[in-house]
Amino acid sequence: MTKGQERKKHPKKALKKTGRVLKPELSYKVEVTDKDGRVIQREEGPSRSYVRQWNEIFQLQAGAVASGGVVKDTSGATQTNAYRTSVCFKCDAGIGYTLNGLRVGKSSTPVSISDYALGSPLAEGTGTDQVEHQLTYFTGPSVVGSTLSFTMQRAFVNHSGAPISGIQEIGVYIFFTAAMMGRVALGFRDALGSPFSIPDGGSITVTYTLKVTA
Amino acid sequence: MRNEGLWYSVTVRDRHGKVISRERRRSRSMLGNWYRILYGMMSFLSCSLVGTNGIDWGASWNQDNWKFQASANEDYIGIVVGTGTTAVTIDDYKLATQIMHGTGSGQLRYLICTPGTPSVAGSNCDFLTSRVFLNNSGGSITMRESGIYCRCKGPTYYSYACIVRDVFDTPQAVPDGGSITIDYTLRVTA
Repeated sequence: MTKGQERKKHPKKALKKTGRVLKPELSYKVEVTDKDGRVIQREEGPSRSYVRQWNEIFQLQAGAVASGGVVKDTSGATQTNAYRTSVCFKCDAGIGYTLNGLRVGKSSTPVSISDYALGSPLAEGTGTDQVEHQLTYFTGPSVVGSTLSFTMQRAFVNHSGAPISGIQEIGVYIFFTAAMMGRVALGFRDALGSPFSIPDGGSITVTYTLKVTA
Repeated sequence: MRNEGLWYSVTVRDRHGKVISRERRRSRSMLGNWYRILYGMMSFLSCSLVGTNGIDWGASWNQDNWKFQASANEDYIGIVVGTGTTAVTIDDYKLATQIMHGTGSGQLRYLICTPGTPSVAGSNCDFLTSRVFLNNSGGSITMRESGIYCRCKGPTYYSYACIVRDVFDTPQAVPDGGSITIDYTLRVTA
């Protein structure tokens, strides 16, 4: 029987909604505080943001790929010899470190499945439109009722001497390995609902929650 | 908006290759262990994780984590099937009643399990993994659950973790000489 004949005989059925469904979810929260620590702007919501590199790097691990994996890095270069390693997905960036970890930027371009970097990420520093990147850190997975979740968070401090306005995107840069070198890929990205502005001396904090609910 | 999801399909064929039953559905099954391993990989930290042997060897970062590519005959890794009907819970660490590899009564032959290459179509990126199980047991076998076992490294020991489990809407009977194919598709959507 051909695939076409099979399809005719066994047409696609609508997905049944029976029993409980474990729901994987990604959500974010963004908060801006002034130099006194008061929250002056806030947004939270569901993320719509995994991009193709997420599955491509997952496939390196699941398929035990030893060579030849294809992943585009944050420079836009397509790495054609990616493979599984212990650093795939690593994003526990240290202070001042911008290669991986959570990032913020100024592009308002909607998210596309083929995004490979933030549109206009802010650089590290105290110059104009620069922020000081703090640790990307995690809270351990915990089960509450029928939900397991963990969070990742990073604060970005503005010591540029002036407000930084127009922050409209957030995302995470994750490591992978290709051609014997550590590479970085975009894992997920979100365009914010409204532009954020950080006053001088203030900060912006991004928190992502990854959870699955029974 | 949900932007990550898992789907499965089950296809049963008789000894002549004719499709006799099929079920497609969104999986209700990414378990807590999936996210525990993800946490270990992203954070470079360890956390508690109960392996398929019931022992908590933990999860941490390692190159073998999430590996579910499996060779033929390997019933401890890759897509697995069983006869259990217990409802799925967040902390399931194995199938309720796994069918083991073999040709004896109530056993199936496990073929290779090969994760495919992700493909992009529209705003989706899909990643398909399939496995075929042959029934050469001499009798019919009715399957009621499936899942994925992957390799996982704790701080000290390797283990295998159940990261996906589904209970079928409809029990799937595989006749002697027939086969069952399980496809899991991990989809991310922008």
